[in-house]
Amino acid sequence: MLTILKSGIQTCIQDLGRYGFRHLGVSQAGVMDPLAAKSANILLNNSTDSAVIEITVGLCKFKFDHPTNFSLTGADLGAKLNGKSIATGWRYHAEANDILTFASSKSGTRAYFAVQGGFNDVTPVMHSSATDIQAGFGGLSGRALQDGDVLPYTPFNALDSIGAALPDYVDTIRVIPGPHIDLLPKDNQQSLYNQQWQVQPNSNRMGLRVASDIDISHNVSITSQAVSPGVIQLPPNGQPIVLLNDCQTTGGYPIIAHVIEADLRHLGQLHAGVHCQFRAVNRLQAQQALDQQQQHLAQLKIAVLHHDKKNI
Amino acid sequence: MTNNKTYILGERALVLEIFQTHLSQHQQNKLFALHAWMREQKVFIDIVPAKTTITGYLMHSQDPEYWLDRLREAWENIEPEAFQPTVHQIITRYGKSNGPDLDSVASLTGLSPAQVVELHSQQSYQVKFLGFLPGFAYLGDLNPKLHLPRLDTPRTHVPSGSVAIAQDLTAVYPSESPGGWRLIGHTDTVLFNHQLESPSILQPGDVVKFIPSTEGIC
Repeated sequence: MLTILKSGIQTCIQDLGRYGFRHLGVSQAGVMDPLAAKSANILLNNSTDSAVIEITVGLCKFKFDHPTNFSLTGADLGAKLNGKSIATGWRYHAEANDILTFASSKSGTRAYFAVQGGFNDVTPVMHSSATDIQAGFGGLSGRALQDGDVLPYTPFNALDSIGAALPDYVDTIRVIPGPHIDLLPKDNQQSLYNQQWQVQPNSNRMGLRVASDIDISHNVSITSQAVSPGVIQLPPNGQPIVLLNDCQTTGGYPIIAHVIEADLRHLGQLHAGVHCQFRAVNRLQAQQALDQQQQHLAQLKIAVLHHDKKNI
Repeated sequence: MTNNKTYILGERALVLEIFQTHLSQHQQNKLFALHAWMREQKVFIDIVPAKTTITGYLMHSQDPEYWLDRLREAWENIEPEAFQPTVHQIITRYGKSNGPDLDSVASLTGLSPAQVVELHSQQSYQVKFLGFLPGFAYLGDLNPKLHLPRLDTPRTHVPSGSVAIAQDLTAVYPSESPGGWRLIGHTDTVLFNHQLESPSILQPGDVVKFIPSTEGIC
């Protein structure tokens, strides 16, 4: 099993999210960076939707109580195995009593950590192992991991280390313009695209809050409607909120844009103080970007399978 | 006579919006009949009704235009009678510690606490949609005599099972949470249990009636 010696800022069990219950007010939850989580699982020949540990900011410490293989993807948060630096995007072997630590980083926010065969004893809630921290269910007892928690896994013999190059994180986020943009004053309809936005410290898994110097406050109200991760709302104060995995299922602020699915992974890596910008694309471009990512994952899967077959 | 529009939100969300601040019972039932139709198509991973919209999330992002056309056609042709709601009775203890705002609701509306209870419990409500919390059902329409804004200062802890009102709606808090609605009663009925295959008792379109508990009204 894995013992959590130091749980850090917000370390939680996530999978690809909870679907099919939004009409009951149940949020999606799930990993903020699906490409990283899927890659972590693929590196271990796990199914892509196996539960992984999402580490936010870092500052945590784990002990492997049994030998296993594990993978690390997402942001480089200064991970070390027994004090020796290890790289993100790689698979490693851990012996019993090995210690995995994460420092922190200025370049990213979230890292993903998976073990071969996944974590046992994580009971799915509404078909998902994702921790819904707001609602208090899923993952381990519906909460972030705490010091002293243990997560059982099945021991495995050593596999050799392999790594996978994943597409870089960027700060230009591609979006499809939203349905309520026409309700804003003409002068402000392009404002989202014309400047740098600074990520605010009150951003979290529910939403990425951004602000700029220009004033696009307004008094447009809409009837509340279904919202989901990627929706960009513009509250009356003129400071956009990009909704993320833990967002509520309905919202009443004008929807000015929607982040394309392929770019959602970047949002969870932006931390307070950094700048980002938004670029409008069309639905076809969004589809192409998503196809490209799926191809990337399919190729990785084949490469890992081929590699492991050769080495058995 | 077009009083609605359909559009694609992002890559795979299809939205049907009715241009009205308030839906008639006919339109409301038509919307729930459409919800049932959408479920039958087996192409949506999630379908979320809201006050004047319904949003369907396609499982795959291919061909949203095709399904948008189908959705539009279905709305034109669907009969509200196709929708048959489930009816629930919720036993409620009103007032005192169960409903700490009952007295202030009475004084603000110029009614007696007993009249507030009577107005609240004599009619049926429909689940317009769920949101805010898992299993939190927005129930309408509240009798106009009971319409009051939310509390100026929301409570940090509203107990699970609280029966509350705000504006033209009433609701039951399915779990403990912060909240700004006015609390007039309490029920022991468990509305949401995440361990069940069907976790929420109340589904969009269901009909709810509050039954005052015989033990100690007010």
